[in-house]
Amino acid sequence: MVTELNRYLDSVRDNLRLDLSSEQEVTSELETHIDERLHELRQAGLSEEEAASTCVKLLGSAKLVARQIYEAHSQGTWRQALLASMPHLLFGLLFALNWWQGIGWLSGTLVLVLAMAVYGWWHGKPAWLFPWLGYSLVPVVVAGLMLLYLPKGWSWVTILLYIPLALWLLYRVTVQTIKRDWLYSSLMLFPVPIILGWFLAVQLEGRFPEFSAERLRDLAPWIGLSFLALAVTAATFIRLRQRWLKVAVLFISGLLTLIMTACYAGGRLGLPAFLLLILILLSLFLTPALLERKIRYCKQSDQ
Amino acid sequence: MAQARELMKGSTDSLLLYLLSQQPMYGYQIIKELERKSQGYFRFKEGTLYPALHRLEKSGLLLGKWQLLPGGRQRRYYHITDKGRYILLEKKHQWQDFLVAMNLVLQPTNT
Repeated sequence: MVTELNRYLDSVRDNLRLDLSSEQEVTSELETHIDERLHELRQAGLSEEEAASTCVKLLGSAKLVARQIYEAHSQGTWRQALLASMPHLLFGLLFALNWWQGIGWLSGTLVLVLAMAVYGWWHGKPAWLFPWLGYSLVPVVVAGLMLLYLPKGWSWVTILLYIPLALWLLYRVTVQTIKRDWLYSSLMLFPVPIILGWFLAVQLEGRFPEFSAERLRDLAPWIGLSFLALAVTAATFIRLRQRWLKVAVLFISGLLTLIMTACYAGGRLGLPAFLLLILILLSLFLTPALLERKIRYCKQSDQ
Repeated sequence: MAQARELMKGSTDSLLLYLLSQQPMYGYQIIKELERKSQGYFRFKEGTLYPALHRLEKSGLLLGKWQLLPGGRQRRYYHITDKGRYILLEKKHQWQDFLVAMNLVLQPTNT
């Protein structure tokens, strides 16, 4: 196929942001269309280049076609919306009903989260996977928190082993997710500032990293409510068609939940901490988008 | 032409459902058939046909099926579903009511 048409199909592919099998179906269908149109144009007496150029004109903007096809496919079913909201609901229940203290509930939830994340990862990375994937990183965070309680002098373990390994894992998962669609990275990571907010709110004053179990029990209903808000957001995200609406829903809901966290934290979350969490929330949208642009730029440079 | 395109935006679904209610077709065939039946009036950017077909398929009004051709090539034929036929009937009634109302306004002497 002529380079101009290859570029056209590459542009459609880059802007589709669908799962691999849907992407292949769409591009195969367009390829068949292009072949038939080219054949007709050549028969009408046009040269190879003229036929390719006319064909691209007749097809219309590749970005527009890709965006419209994305919108036709991007609305998930109610079942997918429920699946996407499930991990938030599970963690919400763990806190709201104080089950987080029971090792059985906690480990059962983590096993389920890991199983769902692995299943989704090997079955075409559907949209519902990404909230599960975010929570599957919880054991990594918990391991990091445990390291804070190591005796003094053992900090080299954290510096030399844990931090590089944890960052490498987070980077790999995020990059793989961005290759599918940067917005799924934001869907996966947007609970981070809220969880961080609650973590700071239950700390004993001036004795970081010690936390107050009593305070955690007092705040449990509000923590549960914030997870419920995350669940509703994830379900709404899956049901929406337009991309800009998905971004708006994630960001606004993240911001409102953060404000709610600050309100119910009872003064434990000061203005600097609150502003820092907003900054983290913003970076969870900007960093994946910029990383995706960089990955595409590198890919194009390689070709 | 731009006005015709605006008018067509709201009627693409009806046109596609009607054509496919006659026989299953693939994308390129739909474009040729639409041009032929409308004597060249209905022309649009060809790429934008596929989002419309995929949207109707996702809504359960069409069903796309790959068909292998001699020579190893594949084409995706779209079939109208029962739900699609029902919606087409509804849209036909809406169009008829609309045309009657338009005629009443634009050609009052006929009434």
